[in-house]
Amino acid sequence: MGETETAGTGRDSMTLPLALLRLSVVIAFTAIAVGFWLLQVAQHEKYRQLAENNHQRTLSLSAPRGVVFDRDGRVLVENRYSLNISLVREQVDDLEGSIDLLAEVSGVPSSALWSVVERYERDPAYRPIVLISDASLGQVAAVAAHALELPGVFVQQLPTRFYPAGEVAAHLFGYVGEVSTDQLASAEFQNVRSGAVVGKSGVEQTYNQLLMGNDGARQVVVDAIGREIDTIGEVAPQEGRQLQLTLDYDLQEAAEAAFALAGFDGAAVVLDPRSGEVLSLVSLPAYDPNAFALGIDSATWDSLNQDPRRPLSSRALQGRYSPGSTFKIAMAVAALEEGIVTPDFRVNCGGGGTFYGRFYQCHTTHGSVDMREALEQSCNTYFYTLGEKMEVDQIHKWASALGLGEMSGIDLPYEVQGLMPSTTWKRERRGEPWYPGETLSVAIGQGAVSVTPISLAVMMATVANGGTRVTPHLLKAVNDGDGWSQAAPPVPRSAVALSPRTLSAVTDGLWYVVNRAGTGRRGRINGRDVIGKTGTAQVISLQGRIAAGDSERDLRDHGWFVFAAPAGAPEIAGVVFGEHAEHGYLAAPIARHVMETYFAKQEGRPRPVLPLPARPPAVPAIVAATQ
Amino acid sequence: MLERRLYRHIDWLLVGALALLCAVGVTMIYSTTYDPLTGAAGPLVSTQLWALGLGLVAFVIMLSVDYRWFSDSWVVIFVGLVALVGYAMLFGTEGGGARRWIDLGAFNLQPSEFARIVVALALATLFADRRRGPQTPVGWMLAVLIVGLPFLLIAQQPDLGTAVTLLPVCFGILVFAGLRLRYVAVLVVLAILTAPVAWAYGLEDYQRQRISSFLDPEQDARGAGYQQIQARITVGSGGPVGKGFLKGTQSQYNFLPVAHNDFIFSVLAEEQGFLGVVFALGLYLFVILRGLDAARLAKDRLGTYLVVGLMSGFAFQVIYNIAMSAGLAPVKGLTLPLMSYGGSSVIATLAAFGLVLNVRMRRFTN
Repeated sequence: MGETETAGTGRDSMTLPLALLRLSVVIAFTAIAVGFWLLQVAQHEKYRQLAENNHQRTLSLSAPRGVVFDRDGRVLVENRYSLNISLVREQVDDLEGSIDLLAEVSGVPSSALWSVVERYERDPAYRPIVLISDASLGQVAAVAAHALELPGVFVQQLPTRFYPAGEVAAHLFGYVGEVSTDQLASAEFQNVRSGAVVGKSGVEQTYNQLLMGNDGARQVVVDAIGREIDTIGEVAPQEGRQLQLTLDYDLQEAAEAAFALAGFDGAAVVLDPRSGEVLSLVSLPAYDPNAFALGIDSATWDSLNQDPRRPLSSRALQGRYSPGSTFKIAMAVAALEEGIVTPDFRVNCGGGGTFYGRFYQCHTTHGSVDMREALEQSCNTYFYTLGEKMEVDQIHKWASALGLGEMSGIDLPYEVQGLMPSTTWKRERRGEPWYPGETLSVAIGQGAVSVTPISLAVMMATVANGGTRVTPHLLKAVNDGDGWSQAAPPVPRSAVALSPRTLSAVTDGLWYVVNRAGTGRRGRINGRDVIGKTGTAQVISLQGRIAAGDSERDLRDHGWFVFAAPAGAPEIAGVVFGEHAEHGYLAAPIARHVMETYFAKQEGRPRPVLPLPARPPAVPAIVAATQ
Repeated sequence: MLERRLYRHIDWLLVGALALLCAVGVTMIYSTTYDPLTGAAGPLVSTQLWALGLGLVAFVIMLSVDYRWFSDSWVVIFVGLVALVGYAMLFGTEGGGARRWIDLGAFNLQPSEFARIVVALALATLFADRRRGPQTPVGWMLAVLIVGLPFLLIAQQPDLGTAVTLLPVCFGILVFAGLRLRYVAVLVVLAILTAPVAWAYGLEDYQRQRISSFLDPEQDARGAGYQQIQARITVGSGGPVGKGFLKGTQSQYNFLPVAHNDFIFSVLAEEQGFLGVVFALGLYLFVILRGLDAARLAKDRLGTYLVVGLMSGFAFQVIYNIAMSAGLAPVKGLTLPLMSYGGSSVIATLAAFGLVLNVRMRRFTN
C-alpha cells in the first residue's frame, strides 16, 4: 500500500479539526484545573478535616480512681489492672473464624462471644469490643500464642476498682458502674464521657467528683486497616484524689466478725461522739462490690435483687424500725429537761398500771423505781407514767434534738428519715387530732415512732457528748496530689446544752443497765464504765404473730443495743441492730467486742479474738405453711 | 534504518517532557508503595523501572522503523493483536475481575493496552488510502471491523474501560478523514439516545453501581462510592502546596485504594498540592499539543491520521483519569499514561509516542 497520497492539498482541510481538537483539549484541561482548584484551594479546609478524621484517632486512657484509706492509713479501696480481650472488627476479614478460634483457645463458649459482638453491632467497626473482660492469665497467654491467626484481637489493660476486703463495709464503700444516661444529662457529670465508670453508691458515689481522675487521651495515626502507625500526642491519665476515711478498719472487722459469731444479720454504727466521725458502719448481709467493678453480669444482679435478705439495702441508713426501749433514753431526757419530773421521781410498778382507764402491762413487777432504776430495768410502767404527764410535742422536741426522726446528714447517699410523731404530724398526715393514749405507746418507743440505726447512734452520741447533735461523717482527709489536707468536719446539726443533772441521771441509769442487774450485762467491760440500753423492736403484733403462726423466722423481733463508753467522757458511742435477734441483749456482745477492740488498740494491746463460731447457723428451709 | 540526519528532526522537547512525566510517575509510585511502618518501598518501583527500560526499547524501535513500513504491515499486526487479545480473554490471567493478562513468566503482558496503537495504525492506513477509503462500502465495513473486533474482545474480558479508549482514537481519525461535523453531531445525539439502552443491557452490575455512586457517592460510602469519596478527600486535603513527599496521609495509610495505579494523580495532588497539579497538567497539555504538532507537520495523510488517532486516545485517557482522580468522573479502571504503575501501559504509551515522533521526524523524507 504505497499509494498513500502525500499531504499538501489535504493539509488545509485539517486546520479546522486540528484547531478544534486543540481547543477542546485546552478547555478540558482548564476545566480540570478549575476542579482541582475548587477542591484544593476553595474547599481545602473541609477536606483537610475529613482526611484528619480518617487517619487520626483519639483513644481514651482511663484514669484510675483515687485510693481510699482508713484512719490508720490502711488501703480500703484500690485499683488493679484487669485484662480485657478485645476485638476490632475493622481488622478482621473472617469474623466467624476468629470468634470460633478465640472460643476454642479461651474456653469461652462462642455463643457468649457472639452475643457480645451482636450487642455492639451498631458501633463503628474501629471501636474495640470487649469480648472477654477480666480475662485470666491463661486466656491472655492463649490469645498471645495465636496472635497471628487472630488479627484484630488484642489485650487491653484497664484500671479496675478493687476492694481488698471483699464484702466488709460494702455498703459504706458502695460500688461503681457505667454512668447512666440520666447522670450524663446532669450538671455534676457534664465533663464525664459516656461509658465512664462512676460511683453508684456509698463513698464511691458521694465523693465521686474527688475519686474520679481525669481520663487521658492518646492521639494516634492509624492506617486504613486500623494499624497504629504513630502516636502524635498523649495526655497521661490523672489518677483520682486519695481519700482518708474516719473509718477504723479494725473496728469494722471486729463488728462484722462479732455479727458472724452471733449468727444474725443487722447493722451497726459506731461513732466518735465528740466529732461525729464514723468509726464503723455495718450492714449485713452484704455483697461483694468487686462484682460491680467491671460491670455486673445480669445473673449476679438478679440474684442480689431477688435475695429475700436484701443484701443491697443498707440497713444502717435505710432500715426503719421502732426503737423499742432504747427510746426510753429520749423520754428520760425529755421529762428531765422539761422539768416534768426529777431523777428522784418514783413510780410504783405493780406489773403494770392503769392509764386513761385502761391497764397497761409491764414485763414484770418492778416495785418502786426512780428514773435511774426505771432505765436500768426498762420499766414500762415508769415511762407510761411519764407519757401520761407529757405532751407528745414535748417528747418530739427532745427526741428531735437527739436526732430521732431526723436525717443524720451522713456523707452517704440514700439515707432515709425515721419518724418522730407530733400533733402537727398527726394533723397534717392523718387529718386527725393527737389522742393522749397514743403518747403512752410513744413513751416506750412503740406506735408511730420509727428510727434508722444511724439516728439511734446519733442519739447515743448526743447524750454522750452532752447535747451536741454531731453529724456523722466519713471523710477525714483528701490528698489532692500535693499532700494531705484535713477535710473540714461538718457542723453539728443542732446543739442543746443538757443539764448536768439530766446527764448524770441518764448516765447512771444506763451504767446500771450494763453494770448492774440490767439487760445489757453482756456489754460490760471491766474498768471501762460502758453505758447502754437494750431494746426490742416488734416486727409484728402479738395478734398478728398468732395469726401467722410461729414457724416463720421473719416474724421474730429485732434487738437493739445502744452504747457509749467510758461513762462521763465517752470516746465511742453507737448502736447495734440485730435483725430478728429477738432480744436486745444478744446485740450487746457485738458492741462489747467493738469497744474492746477500740480500747485494746488505744492501749497498744493485741486485738481481742473472738471464739470461732462452732458452725455457721443453719438456715432453716422455708416450709410451706401447713393448711 | 535510522539515518543520521533524521536525528536532527527528533522532537527533543517532547522527549524531555515525556521523560519528566515518567520520572514524576516513578516518584509517585515510590511514595504510594512506601510503608511508613517499615520505612521501605515495595518492589513496584523496580518493576516500573524495568518496564520503562522495555518501553524505551519499544520507543526506539517505533521511532527507527519508518511508520510507513508499519502501515504496510497493518494486516499482520492487526491479526496478531486480535489473536493476543483473544488469547488473553480465553486463557489469560485474571485480575481485578477481568481476564486481561498473558503470563510471560517474568511479567504479565496486557495486549489490550496495545490495541489503541494497532487500531490507530489500521484506521489511518485505511482512511489514507483514497481508493479504499471510507468512501466505499467495503472501506466502511473494514473500519467497523477494525474498531469493533478488538472492542468486543476487550469488552468481553471484561474490561470496558480499556475498550472504550478505542473510541476516541477512532473518532479523532474519522473527524480528520473528512467526517462532516454535522455527522459528528448526529453521532453525539445517537450516543445520548442509546445511553439508556446501554445502561439497561450493555453494562454489568458493578458498572451501573459505579456510575450511580458517582452521581451520589454518599449512598454507598463503604462500597462503590468509597474510592470516589476518598479520592476527593485525598485531592482536597492536599491544599495549595501539598503535604510533602511521603507525607500524604491518605495514600501513605492506604485510605485511597489502588493509589499507585488508577489514582496516582490523586497522590500527586495530595503530596504536591495544587502547584504540583498545575505543573503536571501543564506537562501533559504540552505533550498533547506538541504531539498534535506532528499531525500538522506530517508529510502525508497517513502520518496525520496516525498521530491524531494516537494523540486522541492519549488525551482522552489523560483527561478522564485525572478527572476521576479528583472524584470528578465515575471510577473506571483506566490508568494514567506515563505515570501509573503498569508495564504494558508504559510500553504501549512509549511505543505510541515513538510513532508520533517517527511521523514528525520523517516529515521531510520521501
